[in-house]
Amino acid sequence: MKRIRLALRTFGGFLRTPTLSRSIIALLALAILLLLAVNAATFVMIQRTSAYNDTVDHSQQVRLASKDVLSLLADAETGQRGFMLTARAEYLGVHRRAVAQLPAVLARLDGLIGDDKELKPRIARVQTLYRQRMALMDHTIDLTRTGRIGEAVSQIRSGHGKALMDAMRIELTAIDAVEARRLAERTRQSERASAVTVSVNALAALLILILAGISVWLVRRYVDEIESARMELDRLNAGLENQVRDRTAELTRANEEIQRFAYIVSHDLRAPLVNIMGYTSELEQVGKIFDHQLTTLAERHPEDIEPEAIRAVREDVPEAVGFIRASTAKMDRLINAILKLSREGRRALAPEVLPMTAVVQSIADSLHHQVVENGGEIVVRDLPTLESDRLSIEQIFGNLLDNAVKYQQPDRPIRIVVDGELTDDGRVHYRITDNGRGVSARDHERIFELFRRAGKQDQPGEGLGLAFVRNSVRRLGGVMELESALGQGSTFHLKFPTRLIVSGDAGDRL
Amino acid sequence: MSHSVKIVMVEDDHGHAKLIEKNIRRANIANDIVHFDHGDAALDYLFSDEVRAHGPLLILLDLNLPDMSGTDILEKVKSDERLRRAPVVILTTTDDKIEIQRCYDLGCNVYITKPVDYEAFAGAIQQLGLFLSVMQAPEI
Repeated sequence: MKRIRLALRTFGGFLRTPTLSRSIIALLALAILLLLAVNAATFVMIQRTSAYNDTVDHSQQVRLASKDVLSLLADAETGQRGFMLTARAEYLGVHRRAVAQLPAVLARLDGLIGDDKELKPRIARVQTLYRQRMALMDHTIDLTRTGRIGEAVSQIRSGHGKALMDAMRIELTAIDAVEARRLAERTRQSERASAVTVSVNALAALLILILAGISVWLVRRYVDEIESARMELDRLNAGLENQVRDRTAELTRANEEIQRFAYIVSHDLRAPLVNIMGYTSELEQVGKIFDHQLTTLAERHPEDIEPEAIRAVREDVPEAVGFIRASTAKMDRLINAILKLSREGRRALAPEVLPMTAVVQSIADSLHHQVVENGGEIVVRDLPTLESDRLSIEQIFGNLLDNAVKYQQPDRPIRIVVDGELTDDGRVHYRITDNGRGVSARDHERIFELFRRAGKQDQPGEGLGLAFVRNSVRRLGGVMELESALGQGSTFHLKFPTRLIVSGDAGDRL
Repeated sequence: MSHSVKIVMVEDDHGHAKLIEKNIRRANIANDIVHFDHGDAALDYLFSDEVRAHGPLLILLDLNLPDMSGTDILEKVKSDERLRRAPVVILTTTDDKIEIQRCYDLGCNVYITKPVDYEAFAGAIQQLGLFLSVMQAPEI
């Protein structure tokens, strides 16, 4: 049932999609139908011809038999007349031979005519007339034999015998005429039928030729289309390659510009920082000098000292200096972070085959102390190998494992599982799953941004790690995804090409 | 360093220039310091007959100048027959490895990164001062 429905659906789809193969198949089917029609017509024609031949034969035999009857009757009459004129037995022999043959010939004619409605009454009449004529002839012969020739002659003179003969001749001629008419009619029919057959054949041949022509034209057009499509494809491919090359060059340039920009920005931001810090220190020194001066002055002339001045010098100035220091220190760290990212982006990658299980295990071992402190564990399953840049991979996994340990849920021991497999599309998929504090859905993108952090801010950090990791993953041609629910844990998915292909100038050797 | 050695400082940031001078003085270096805040002016001075004839000198060079890169000045100085003997100290905020390599390739004598932290900065300049006080500069 299912198969039938499937077949129907396939057929329906076939009908609805106007394709070349559909048209060709339709044309071929039509051609085959035409051929079948021609075959059928020819077959019918052959049947008809054979039937016609039979009837022609039949008619000829009927005509022949009726002629035989006539001629035998004439022979019988001739023998009778000869005997009556000459009384010689040899004429009687002629008569008797003819009379002996007649019943068989008549029976043949009767058999040939059979149940023919038109001819049956006539043959019946012929039979009757024949019997009367035979009786008459036998009678005259008997009269002649017994010497009563005069009686016999008067019998003949009565014209009764001639009348019977004439009637019989009329009937037999009529039979002959009917058969002749029928023959002509059948010949006409046969000629018409063969003319129809010939024209049907000719028409079918013409149609088949046209169909073949259309098929050839369709195939030609299709081949032309394929050819032009192929050429177009070649052209597009060539264009695409150029485009890819151009775009790659553009991207490389843009990337270089960004790196350069990051470098210049960080450098130029640093220069004023040196001044801010430097002159803050100078101000601090000045503050100390004032403080010292105030202390000396307070010993000598305490009444001249305003308490506000003491507070300004001993509290306000150091406080202001402290804030400036802290802020500039933070700014310096941020600038260093940008510099580090920019530098990592310019480092030349050196792909090598990495035994990932061992690589990740050694990173896990370096975190062993922090992990077992709270009764946690890191499980490294069998990982597929990867051909990539060792340093980048170590930094990526190091950062992610470090984060997992750093952001663990305080009320349960941390458990981190690293596993992975080869995917169907020829990439390597690694998963780092933890039961830590997790990331709420609205922060899934944010945590990858530079200087952005999420959740409780109870750990030191600049919000740099994940931005750096994602940057590195992308440089290695990979993608990174996060699956996480707040309070439940996180899974970081890393997907890399099994082999990292480094193009010629992929970075500086920093 | 003998008293006659002139220190030519090329530094576009006046704040930095002042801090550098202050800290050199704190290291008891009393040599003349000539300050330029543009590459052009510095080159004009360095290639004037007076300077070329009356060495010796020591060049303190910042890399990021408004009109040119310090490495341009370094290149010109080190390819000049007379001036190339003058010690060049690169003093800049950049700690980019490529930049450092390039400067040494071009013939700089010392490369110092200006620390952002002022104590470190002051310390570095004062150590440079101490270094200058014991080094010998060649006659040009």
